[in-house]
Amino acid sequence: MQCKDIEIVLEQEGLEPLPPEAREHLAECRECRSYVADITSLVDAAHKLPSEIAPPERVWISLRAQLEAEGIIRTPADPVAVEKASWWDSMRAFFGNRVMATAMVGILIAAAAVFEIRKDKVGENTSPTQETVHTVQAPTQALPSSNQTSNQTSNQKLTSAPSESSAPAEFAGTAQALNDQEPVATGMLLTSRSPIDASLRDNLKKVNEFIAECEHHLKEHPQDELTREYLSAAYQQKAELLSAIIERARSIN
Amino acid sequence: MCLQMMGIIPAWSRTQLKRSVLPVLGAALFVWSAAPAQAAGTGQRVERKFSVTGRPVVVIHNVANGRIEIKSWKNAEVDVLGTQSSNKIGFDIEQAGDRIDVTANVLDAAAQPLELEANLQLTVPEETELQLKTETGLIYVEQVTGDMKLESYAGDVHLKEVSGYIIVKTTGGSLVCGQCAGKLDFSSISGNAQILQPQLNNVNLMTTTGNILFDGEFVRTGLYSMKSGRGLVEVRFSSNDSFDLKAQTSTGTVDNQAAAFLKPDTHGVKHIYSNLTHGFFGTVGKGLAKVELSSYSGTIRIMRRD
Repeated sequence: MQCKDIEIVLEQEGLEPLPPEAREHLAECRECRSYVADITSLVDAAHKLPSEIAPPERVWISLRAQLEAEGIIRTPADPVAVEKASWWDSMRAFFGNRVMATAMVGILIAAAAVFEIRKDKVGENTSPTQETVHTVQAPTQALPSSNQTSNQTSNQKLTSAPSESSAPAEFAGTAQALNDQEPVATGMLLTSRSPIDASLRDNLKKVNEFIAECEHHLKEHPQDELTREYLSAAYQQKAELLSAIIERARSIN
Repeated sequence: MCLQMMGIIPAWSRTQLKRSVLPVLGAALFVWSAAPAQAAGTGQRVERKFSVTGRPVVVIHNVANGRIEIKSWKNAEVDVLGTQSSNKIGFDIEQAGDRIDVTANVLDAAAQPLELEANLQLTVPEETELQLKTETGLIYVEQVTGDMKLESYAGDVHLKEVSGYIIVKTTGGSLVCGQCAGKLDFSSISGNAQILQPQLNNVNLMTTTGNILFDGEFVRTGLYSMKSGRGLVEVRFSSNDSFDLKAQTSTGTVDNQAAAFLKPDTHGVKHIYSNLTHGFFGTVGKGLAKVELSSYSGTIRIMRRD
């Protein structure tokens, strides 16, 4: 048997069991032994790979946002029952084998909520971004309850995430998924004092405020396609930001 | 011998000299040699050179704080110079064919921010592809031709005389692009974008709360889209430009300082104005390029430069 025959045998019959002629050749031929060893290690490595690699959560969120924006999929008319089920499923899937991590995140969220409430009371209205909005917006378009909304949400969440019910129907699923993911991401930042994490928190707040503003506007003007485009883009940015926060926290820890 | 002759030290025997002076000299030598080693620990420097054939691809991932600076030269070599503030950061630099990978890793998660500074200075062939990712600190690229993807959380991105398909993504960092050519995609949450004297034929700028300034020429047949959620979108064009312009905002304002130079669309297209947005359509010259400006609640300003 020649070296090329070994390749044919491997191709047709696989690694085991090798015919006696092939084994005889291998006993004499160093190159073929090395070749078979390489193939064996490759097959072993392939067996160790997971059967399916799940894409990151943000891919699904972005995909969903895009499909909803294009009107290809729509949230069911009775979203409450469906949302509850999907929310539970997604939470269960996410925290599947991370019970301890979930408990820790919960504790951190509770601690941060207390911290955040105190912080917000001090500096709620000093955001330069909000000032900019008021200077460029027509008075009638300014969010009448932006401060009120922020205060309410800050009492409930770590950041001023938009309230769950204010998202337009076609974005309800996306908004819900993002709001579910947000405490996980912000919980990971709580212990950090690095300026980068502060910047990420600040930008998350800005996106949330912008989303709330667009949602509010769309409620009053549901036909405004420009606002819809901006809202869709903001959801995508939020998904990417949450994903970046989670990835960064995991890489550090 | 001289000291002895000058009477500064007594005429000791050779043995006495060995016993008393040599240990002192030895200690001094030890202290002298240890001092630079300690200094190197607080400000280490790594330099590597890689020969390349063709167009190299440089991939940098800097998780530490610091600046990434990339300039070009005529040599078919990539020179990597890394400096770090402490030994709590490690550089992994490797070459795989024409790909050069540089990674700055944090070795001690408990390190203070000041200990996590790592600056990278690269000199690359003029035609080089770049993939840079950093968290904070400036990314500066000058005179490089090739596709590039530059990502940053909080750091700014400054580009000078670069060309190719340029993708810039930041969270809070701003972009300044001077004399850039080719295609540019910029997206950010709170970062600003300044495009100065460009030769870009395809531009997509999107920021949620930042401002956008485009000061330069619109290339004929070029496509330009600039969007800011809450910020200012300002465009300064020249009298030689030729483009169709669409500007619209939901709740913001349009400040058209170039109304005298804008004609109704000359291509016979009847534009439908939405009742829900403010804005206008217009044409400068023959309307060869297409420019779309929008802002949700910010200001759109159009003005002629000359």
